[in-house]
Amino acid sequence: MKIVVCIKQVPESNQVKLDPVTHNLVRQGVAGKINPFDRHAIQAALAIKAQVGGEVIVISMGPADNEYCLREGLAMGADRAILLSARAFAGSDTLATGYTLSQAIRKLGAVELVFFGRQAVDADTGQVGPIVAEFLGWPQLTLASSLTLKDRRLEGMRRLGDLEQTVALTLPAVVTASNDLNQPGYLQPRMIKASFQQEITVWQETDLAADPLRLGVSGSPTVVRKVMAPQRKQQETVFLATDPQQAALDLHAALHAKNLI
Amino acid sequence: MTKIPEVWIFAEQQLGQIEPTVFQLLTRAREIAPRFKVVAVLFETPTQHLAATLAEYGPDKILVVQDPRLAQVADAEQATLLAHLVQRDQPNSFLFGATALGRSLAPRLQAKLQTGLTADCLALHFEDELLVQTKPSYGDNIMCEIVCPDKRPQMATVRPNTFAAQKVEPDRSRPELEVVTDLPWPEVAHFQIIAEKKVATPQTGLSQAKRIIALGRGAADAASKTVARSWAQKIDAQIGVTRPLTDGGGFSVKDQIGQSGQTVAPELLFCLGISGAVQFLSGITNAKVIVAVNPDPQAAIFSVADYGFVGEANGFLTALQQVDQRKQAALK
Ligand SMILES: Cc1cc2nc3c(=O)[nH]c(=O)nc-3n(C[C@H](O)[C@H](O)[C@H](O)COP(=O)(O)OP(=O)(O)OC[C@H]3O[C@@H](n4cnc5c(N)ncnc54)[C@H](O)[C@@H]3O)c2cc1C
Ligand SMILES: Nc1ncnc2c1ncn2[C@@H]1O[C@H](COP(=O)(O)O)[C@@H](O)[C@H]1O
Repeated sequence: MKIVVCIKQVPESNQVKLDPVTHNLVRQGVAGKINPFDRHAIQAALAIKAQVGGEVIVISMGPADNEYCLREGLAMGADRAILLSARAFAGSDTLATGYTLSQAIRKLGAVELVFFGRQAVDADTGQVGPIVAEFLGWPQLTLASSLTLKDRRLEGMRRLGDLEQTVALTLPAVVTASNDLNQPGYLQPRMIKASFQQEITVWQETDLAADPLRLGVSGSPTVVRKVMAPQRKQQETVFLATDPQQAALDLHAALHAKNLI
Repeated sequence: MTKIPEVWIFAEQQLGQIEPTVFQLLTRAREIAPRFKVVAVLFETPTQHLAATLAEYGPDKILVVQDPRLAQVADAEQATLLAHLVQRDQPNSFLFGATALGRSLAPRLQAKLQTGLTADCLALHFEDELLVQTKPSYGDNIMCEIVCPDKRPQMATVRPNTFAAQKVEPDRSRPELEVVTDLPWPEVAHFQIIAEKKVATPQTGLSQAKRIIALGRGAADAASKTVARSWAQKIDAQIGVTRPLTDGGGFSVKDQIGQSGQTVAPELLFCLGISGAVQFLSGITNAKVIVAVNPDPQAAIFSVADYGFVGEANGFLTALQQVDQRKQAALK
């Protein structure tokens, strides 16, 4: 079975700050890493492959250095890697990203299962998976917390608030992996080394039969007007007495006065 | 005459219960768009009759799609039905709760309509007819202001418990009601719901709790847990935890507060033995009064606390219980 996993490269750390003068993002650490949630998606794909055979293809859209996350995918056990990289893709929001990824999946042909992480830890949207499912016209199981394949029927569970749903989908289908789905293992040094021997295919917009108006900035309806540091609740903290008895007495009185206890 | 712009809110329900975020969104929409028409879009089976509950929160209109097939429905089907309605009425914007379902459904609808969708918003306001949406990124370390200037509807999912829900006076709650029963039903094959069950949540939702005692790694010992439980019982509070406490020791992910756990909005929150990592803090921004107990005066939790005690959780809570007992006794 031909299985695709879409993976995103995210900054090494989420501890980004705003430059107070330029208002640009200051990212600590240059390198990126694979979006941690996407490792669950790769793990799920590898499990299906172990069951029915076939190949696992990791795809990432982004600048040339997204190679890092693709090599991590190969080191986990993916068979091949495709990088979607072109100036035309720059500035994509989730809609344009979803369109570009779905065109790449079409080009691969005969793909039966596409996995996504539950969300990217930098953008935190979780939108790209359902968008790709819609563009491909396939059913979806989002936030899958369990998954089994029997014949061409995929059975899985997801939690919707207090509701637990067990659903069945026929292939081809899209699955976004919840972090409860599996436990990705550690990378083996042998595999990491091997991943650097492997070729990474690069596709540009001309390789995709894509509508140029639906790519990059032109294909992105949303505009980021401003980035800001979050305003935490500015709080004058009342520090209580150092003696616990006195502190407890004061706090009790204060909370009681506010009708809180 | 130009048409009054409409703000739509998807009235998500589960087994006949409206998701509380819907009430919060109805309230917020009325505040930020007083001159727009606020419309609740409800999918229900013909026996459910959930419109009356929605009416209490003052929408101008309730648009109901009734069909027995809605008892079990795929994300793709719901997205197709919503797309029909949007194409018919052309709303200005369409809001969803950033719940598991909202986050699954809204992007499919967005792709159908080829419009913009902003995820997990923490603030919304209108500039004229432009919806200005604020969403966090990088694990709530950065806020982005996002607009969708050219495409309609402007779509957003909004984080649960970001806004307060407020019922309206009964005489204000007479919305226009339109029941649609003749939408072309989409042919979505390849998907079947095998089973649905309500998962027993013994403490009906941390997210709804009025009082919460949150325990972190500094209050994870048996003695602290015991005194916390007894204090919780006394003040009718629920217990929540930070992520390190979810792997065993009586707590699970269901009890976790924070970015990858629950967003809470209690009137009173005790944070015991919690350092105050951003991923935790992002889940408590809507708590009204916060009491923090931590021996480290530099702990970040104090920066959001209303009351702080620099010291051990166990000793402080024990003292607080004793004070409470004495006061109760004095009242008798
Ligand atoms: C992607 C991602 C998502 C995450 N999501 C979440 C989330 O949703 N929720 C969450 O909570 N975390 C989350 N985390 C983890 C988060 O970064 C922190 O690691 C976690 O919140 C720390 O928990 P803590 O405060 O209990 O522990 P610690 O940081 O270890 O703090 C323990 C505190 O206890 C104090 N202490 C020690 N002894 C005592 C005592 N006797 N009495 C009182 N205080 C004492 C110490 O001074 C210290 O400040 C996430 C992390 C990542 C990377
Ligand atoms: N640029 C990208 N390239 C490949 N996959 C992506 C990209 N962006 C997002 N994804 C996938 O979509 C999921 C959700 O991302 P997001 O919608 O950005 O939160 C991620 O976990 C990835 O599986």
